Amino acid sequence: MENITATNPFREGLTTRRVAEPCALVIFGATGDLTGRKLLPAIYNLAHEGLLPAGFAIIGFARRAKSTEQFRAELREAVVAGSRFQPINEAVWNALAQGIYYLPGDYKNPADFATLDQLLQVVDRERGTAGNRLFYMATPPGQFAEIISSLGAAGLNRPTSRLVIEKPFGRSLETARELNRSLTQVFAESQIYRIDHYLGKETVQNILVLRFANEIFEHLWNQKYVDHVQMTVAETLGVEARGGYYDQSGALRDMVQNHMMQLLALVAMEPPTSLEAEVIRDEKVKVLRAIRPIPLEQVSQFAVRGQYMRGSQAGKLVPGYLEEKDVPASSRTETFVAMKLFIDNWRWAGVPFYLRHGKRLPKRAAEIAIQFKSPPAVLFAAECAAPLETNVLVIRLQPDEGISIRMNAKVPGNAVNIQPVKMEFRYGGSFGARSPDAYERLLYDAITADSTLFIRGDEAERSWQIMDSLLTGWQTAPKPFDYEAGTWGPAEAEAFITQDGRQWRRP
Amino acid sequence: MAPTVTNSLESFAAGAETAVDVAQIERQLAELWQLAAESDTAAVTRACLFNLVAICDTEAARDRATETIRIVTSRHPCRAIVLLAQPAATTDELAASITAHCHLAGGGGKQVCCEQISIHATGRSVAQLAGAVLPLLESDLPTINWWLGDFLETPLLFRRLCGVADRVFFDTSTWPAAPARLVQLAAAMNEQRQCVFCDLSWTRLEFWRRMTAEMFDPPECAAEVSRLQSAEIIYGDGPGAQLRARLYGGWLATQLGWSAPDAVARLTFEQREEPDTSGCGITMVTIRSAAAQFIVRKNYGEQVASTVVHMPDACGLPRKRAFWPTDDAALLSQELDAMRRDSLYARVLALTVELTAAARS
Repeated sequence: MENITATNPFREGLTTRRVAEPCALVIFGATGDLTGRKLLPAIYNLAHEGLLPAGFAIIGFARRAKSTEQFRAELREAVVAGSRFQPINEAVWNALAQGIYYLPGDYKNPADFATLDQLLQVVDRERGTAGNRLFYMATPPGQFAEIISSLGAAGLNRPTSRLVIEKPFGRSLETARELNRSLTQVFAESQIYRIDHYLGKETVQNILVLRFANEIFEHLWNQKYVDHVQMTVAETLGVEARGGYYDQSGALRDMVQNHMMQLLALVAMEPPTSLEAEVIRDEKVKVLRAIRPIPLEQVSQFAVRGQYMRGSQAGKLVPGYLEEKDVPASSRTETFVAMKLFIDNWRWAGVPFYLRHGKRLPKRAAEIAIQFKSPPAVLFAAECAAPLETNVLVIRLQPDEGISIRMNAKVPGNAVNIQPVKMEFRYGGSFGARSPDAYERLLYDAITADSTLFIRGDEAERSWQIMDSLLTGWQTAPKPFDYEAGTWGPAEAEAFITQDGRQWRRP
Repeated sequence: MAPTVTNSLESFAAGAETAVDVAQIERQLAELWQLAAESDTAAVTRACLFNLVAICDTEAARDRATETIRIVTSRHPCRAIVLLAQPAATTDELAASITAHCHLAGGGGKQVCCEQISIHATGRSVAQLAGAVLPLLESDLPTINWWLGDFLETPLLFRRLCGVADRVFFDTSTWPAAPARLVQLAAAMNEQRQCVFCDLSWTRLEFWRRMTAEMFDPPECAAEVSRLQSAEIIYGDGPGAQLRARLYGGWLATQLGWSAPDAVARLTFEQREEPDTSGCGITMVTIRSAAAQFIVRKNYGEQVASTVVHMPDACGLPRKRAFWPTDDAALLSQELDAMRRDSLYARVLALTVELTAAARS
């Protein structure tokens, strides 16, 4: 995006993070759950923070017939219910509502897209959006192709337009490539913003700051000092009302292929030469390319999958996966995955990255733990009954976002007793500011045409390439191992790591 | 542990002031935080990202500073040191108290607390204030001096505190006869170049600068920038309104590359009697070229301003934006969020000084 301060001298020195130009946001599937629950509260919050340009406009496009007034009233309710600023500021809302429109239409009907084009031209004139458009796919993935095709046919894919799509970006390498092909037939890759809400989390963005804005860590961030890396995303919930969807997806597709692979890329990537979107994404792709492929015949040595059975959580009995609504009794879909990856590059040669994700685990937690090697056991070996604990740097994504370091310290007293102690940094405790919702950050980035925190097509494909061998291998493998709901996964997952002489952390 | 300290933990964490000996402030604070850490019931965490030294010359200003700090620390935890300097008092005293500002942290019932140290100096003891403050600054953290009054009135204290400050916040709106003091302000800023100076009156102007900037975002309007010829700035009665109107004019001239003598002829200022509901004082700005008019104006009866562009082929409908809050806490938060070095203010101030001088001559 052009540096607007070069053409508009009045922009100089404004405290806003970046310049948001007047923009028209077109939401397809505007009457759906995502619009009310996430998008509109996020947009209102941005307006409340003064981060949206006065010429900002929202056009809701969906099949359901309703008036603009009705749509505005519904969005207002959604904002009242979901904004982090309470009560809502009527002046902010009224200024935002002035630019909200609704257009009923069919995703396949060229006439409806011609009407959309006309409305956008009116908005361009009235609100100064000058062709700057953001198309947001808030529809089920099955409708992406027809909407994108209709946008192309109506000539709405101009270079000043951008397209935001929600995951899943395919369900295998082949389907991911197919999706990318259909997207890039209409929009250039630079116009496509694949949204992964994990990347909008403050702590995830802080990974780059932690690594590259602190001199003390980067020197140790390699195979010479790091023993292994553990990444855990644990959920206490089961599949809830999403049994039908989840059974088609499973833990690997739902969480590991996208969110966890993105975390891995950020933790393992080389320092980018700048913070430009393409530079950062190039580095992430390099890491993904360096991940050692898992041979089909060795899938069981690199991954364990599980499926939760009936158990108890927080003192309540919960059903097993096969008892969940819309889940077939014969389902072999995994609700737990533990896997090991190696990155075959100079920095990470020989360092295993253990990834673990599951549903109905004892605790909701997401963290990345860098486990350092043991110091030479020469100095304190005679004094200590047990081996010294190793240093661990933990980046906690949820709950209670923060960073902790475990180190050894002398216990006060005359003897040399050594115990591990933890140094904690908590976002909530150090910065009083409540972090913006991930959607808030990502929407703002999309509005300002910053694609750094969005997934590029080749990233998605490379990630699927790694997962494909597991998915293929599991097709002929025995059913997933059982684990009781409320435990840390199947016993086989424990054996999987202990055979390497290591242990899973308890987040 | 002294029983008096144990007893004061609860009131300290609850925000009540505890009188302390100036020489013992640090030790007593350490004891209180240690007690809080060991307490089963208090569940507090101390947080500190910077030192904030608020310098007040009246009791009302001290109370305002304390209230602002209470609000600001929910977003920007810091060690706050509030100084009340009253050199005209007949007695020479130096008294101190400590208190905490606690806020519930998101997710979980733990409270995040910051400490406030208040020091009241009267008579000749005012000379000891800077010496009392320096050892209280948390090491390795930035220090911000926030002057609630006119720092030009107390040059010695200003210089000594500037020596340890990274940033100086002040508000020319509260200065008596501020326009006449702009020359001295520019000189003081020049003398203390190691500090970043931040005039909260300038921060208040950001809303109007932003609204102005947005009118020139569309390419057809951006193309008109080089053809702008004049501007009319109308302002109201509020504190600092006249100065902000001058600063706004200085900003326009700076960004358009107008020299002072040239700008005097191009800029007109008009004061109208009306209450200041925007917190900024400016009520309407009209910027003109031969072919176009760009207008930002306060909407009567609403807490919003709108922009209108009158130009062939440009969007003409008004665009509205709600006024941002301009109380001390909001302005401080805005600057603490950004922590920027705003070189533009110094340039605008310099041209505003020239403009004021040129207009008089």
